[in-house]
Amino acid sequence: MTDVYVIGIGMTQFGKHPDRTAAGLGAEAVRGAIHDAEIDPRAIRTAYAGHVFQPMVTGQQVLGQVGLAGIPLANVENACSSGATAIRGSFLDILAGEADVSLAFGTEHLTGAFKGAFTPGEDDPEAAVGATMPAVYAMRARRYMEEFGLTREQLARISVKNKRNAALNPLAHFKKDITIDDVLMAKPIAEPFGLLDCSPVSDGAAAVLLASGDWVKRHGDPSRAVRLSASALRTGKVETAPGSMTFEELTRDTANDAYERAGVGPEDIDFAEVHDCFTIAEVLRIEGLGLWEQGTYPAAVERGEADIGGRLPVNPSGGLLGKGHPLAATGVAQVVELVKQLRGDAGSRQIEGAKVGIAHCRGGKTVGVEGAACTVQILTK
Amino acid sequence: MTTRTPVSFRPHDLVVDDDGTGFLRGSRCPSCGAHYFPTREVCAGCLTEDLETIPLPTDGTLYTYTVVHRSTPAFEVPYVLGYVDLPGPVRVLGQIDADPEEVAIGMDVHLEIVPWGTNDEGTPLLGYRFAPGGDA
Ligand SMILES: [Zn+2]
Repeated sequence: MTDVYVIGIGMTQFGKHPDRTAAGLGAEAVRGAIHDAEIDPRAIRTAYAGHVFQPMVTGQQVLGQVGLAGIPLANVENACSSGATAIRGSFLDILAGEADVSLAFGTEHLTGAFKGAFTPGEDDPEAAVGATMPAVYAMRARRYMEEFGLTREQLARISVKNKRNAALNPLAHFKKDITIDDVLMAKPIAEPFGLLDCSPVSDGAAAVLLASGDWVKRHGDPSRAVRLSASALRTGKVETAPGSMTFEELTRDTANDAYERAGVGPEDIDFAEVHDCFTIAEVLRIEGLGLWEQGTYPAAVERGEADIGGRLPVNPSGGLLGKGHPLAATGVAQVVELVKQLRGDAGSRQIEGAKVGIAHCRGGKTVGVEGAACTVQILTK
Repeated sequence: MTTRTPVSFRPHDLVVDDDGTGFLRGSRCPSCGAHYFPTREVCAGCLTEDLETIPLPTDGTLYTYTVVHRSTPAFEVPYVLGYVDLPGPVRVLGQIDADPEEVAIGMDVHLEIVPWGTNDEGTPLLGYRFAPGGDA
């Protein structure tokens, strides 16, 4: 089987872009990836576009703006996992021999589409009685507090860590360090969460170009190519009995698919970008991925083990809490960060000696399902 | 002046009797015993297709909760929201009719039928919440 490599990355500034469109942001990210790869765009054979709240065929609008026409493109919607699912499309095309170079991007003009607290779909019976996304995660946090003695301050530290990392990332939405007190004193959203426990509503886009191992040998720059060793995707199971809300079986199962494909285990992972849509979410993801034992991650954050320079840095880019969360762009931006770190191009947030990175997204909620779509990607240098 | 009879806010999920009592409607799988709310066509455990529609028990325990301070315009904040485990077992989300200080994980709660605004035609609606304590 062929190996798959990331040969180019592109990303816009994440933040509020009132005068831009999803297509314009997407085109900027795609042009960035093409320039980064230093390839003739006509080498691109297939494309996948992730977006959630954007007009239909936003992907084709992006291709139009960059002058690419004719190639197959599919628009992909998998809630917050849309961008990562687009990458999987490109990954599979290369494995199947359908393309030797494939483009995947995610773009979202969220401030134009959306305001206020996220709710599940309109016909959702839980939304009908007052569920919001922050409330659902807040309930998981409350249960975790009860089971494992998690404190409010420990939760706040996750936001402090990720915003500190974001302050080192020029493309991040948040640019300022914050204190634990800032998190505790922020406007209440759903207890125990305040505003700074929640990822912001952001606009932005990110793009990656993938190529086969053969293509990299013939045309590429092997010193800059980073191997995409696994791109796993799972759909959440409908629960047949009430399950734990403090451990993510879906994350564990998706990670196991990825570990098996990549031939690595959690002990081999040097750093992680995970879907920290809320502070508690980082805990649930990390423990689901098997990187820390259940119930132990909050104390590890307190000891600095997840800091840049710690034992296993988590969300060096700033994560969703710090870098921002333009839904479909998020999964692609995680892979952009993994590539920067593995190339040694991450500047002041560089993790020394990083060889294996993992990226995790999960998104969407349907009744009886702990999460709709989950992706795990492993990159190795 | 006519008074209109209140109706369930989601007639399929919440059945309300004339005397103002009511119950949530769920599904039970006759093959594997799994329970679901809301009702489903196919058992997610064993893929059996002839699920029974049943009234769910009205007493349960609180699995977890939050106090919501920001919501959609349809809801007045703050309100307590929680997941309740009912015998089956099956987990149901609902608002908790209690002061935040009285709410604790593991507490007994029971279903109550409460006014739930009006629909577009002005007909009063009935919804559900869970209140502290067992039913009787
Ligand atoms: Zn069954």
